[in-house]
Amino acid sequence: MEMEYGARSDTGRVRENNEDSFRTAPELNLYILCDGMGGQASGEVASRLAADTILAHCREGASNPALPLVGDSLVGAAEFSNRLASAVRLANRAVHETAKKNSGHSGMGATVVAVWLLDDRLALAHVGDSRAYRLRNGELEQLTDDHSFIAEQVRQGMMTEEEAGNSNLQNVLLRALGIEAEVEPDVDEHLLMEGDTILLCSDGLTRELSDAQIAGILKDNEDPQEAADHLINAANRAGGGDNITVIVLRQANRLEGAFARIGRWFKGSEGQS
Amino acid sequence: MSKLVLKFQDSILKEVPVSISEVSIGRSPENVLVIDNPAVSHYHARVFNEEGRLMLEDFGSMNGTFVNGQRVKMVTLKHGDSVAIGKHTIVVADSPDSGFGFAPAAGPKAAAPKINETVMLDTKERRAFLQKVASVGESAQVAPSRTKVATLVVRKGKTDQREYTLTDKLTVIGKSAMATVKLRGWFAPKSAAQINRREDNSFYVGAADKVPSVNGVAIAHPAKLSSGDVIAVAGIELEFVLRD
Repeated sequence: MEMEYGARSDTGRVRENNEDSFRTAPELNLYILCDGMGGQASGEVASRLAADTILAHCREGASNPALPLVGDSLVGAAEFSNRLASAVRLANRAVHETAKKNSGHSGMGATVVAVWLLDDRLALAHVGDSRAYRLRNGELEQLTDDHSFIAEQVRQGMMTEEEAGNSNLQNVLLRALGIEAEVEPDVDEHLLMEGDTILLCSDGLTRELSDAQIAGILKDNEDPQEAADHLINAANRAGGGDNITVIVLRQANRLEGAFARIGRWFKGSEGQS
Repeated sequence: MSKLVLKFQDSILKEVPVSISEVSIGRSPENVLVIDNPAVSHYHARVFNEEGRLMLEDFGSMNGTFVNGQRVKMVTLKHGDSVAIGKHTIVVADSPDSGFGFAPAAGPKAAAPKINETVMLDTKERRAFLQKVASVGESAQVAPSRTKVATLVVRKGKTDQREYTLTDKLTVIGKSAMATVKLRGWFAPKSAAQINRREDNSFYVGAADKVPSVNGVAIAHPAKLSSGDVIAVAGIELEFVLRD
């Protein structure tokens, strides 16, 4: 399935610099988004290093399948899902090592959400609270579980969703790249169906816009770059309290319904500008 | 905690506390403080906390934002300041006790973080919490569910097998080459549905153009399957069974 993409990253209205990074490799159908954390622009170092490491390892793995995997192979996962997981583990080590060697970068970390598409299959890996969503049939579904302290408490039944929404600690993470020597990403595989839209985003988007607002913008904008731009603008208008990064993926050359084509043929508009 | 008092001429219309998040001001209903007046821009301005100070920022509005008579772009507010937006006035009222509403963190001992900045839970707390979660998980998932095998049993319709064991992260039901549960028939869709495996649970996600159902009930979101659930899709019926 050939995908079209739109991507944009913005500092927002409050932060001094942008510590989000994203990488798009359409020739591989690989898309990566990282949100860095750490004082004095260390966040920028962490997110760039993480994104670059993941991209490089996946690229190498794609041209050399014999390249060893970092960490254990996941049961029931396709080869490219394993490669993506391996890349994330490698990125964790890279950020962790760099933080150890530079006192100025001590404690730096990054989140990651990445998708790799192959035929009709989508491999999704993430660590942290950057998210992936799928818009299908007008419904927006969050595909990732946030690795945040609050979200985990809700999942464990220690807290209600309402209490979570009112909490002051929504930005506190349990899992991120670079903090521990080893980290395990969550990895899922999904089937891509015609008409699906995939959204990757940093929390700067979801802290400002509701799911309904996000779904509305995705539905109103056919072109993925326009959708990405509108999402950023809306998040900024709503406050822009953090860096905002989005990647929007859609199928290229979508097949229209047979009836739509026939309708256009009757109207004689086929092929005209 | 500070609060903003919205006034029109001499009447008080509304009071809004400025707590940890910001107060957006404008004509659009999405704002926290909505002023429905043509002289006010849709997204006119905002009031927010920054390191103990109350700040006002104008969003490049058409008619401007004025504090104590002076047009401003970004300025610190103090108790008693009068903010003019269109024909409305907003008076800043500080409560005597605190500057801003950061509650001391109940869990982690770290100092209150800047608004929205992502941080890690303190290492000791984090490891202790994760261990607690893991042990709860272990005991909750009593041995049986760990050794149970997830299977799909064909109850109705034409497929290539009578039973399928679900071990992969993604199981596709359809006619395409990547389908595990292969549908027969001329009109069978390429991809009718998928089942995701995540931590010993199976989640059913249906086709884009057909309303998916579990046990005859339509589902809007990925549905977690329990032993005995029946999925009806593309003319076939599959029962999800957890076998020993």
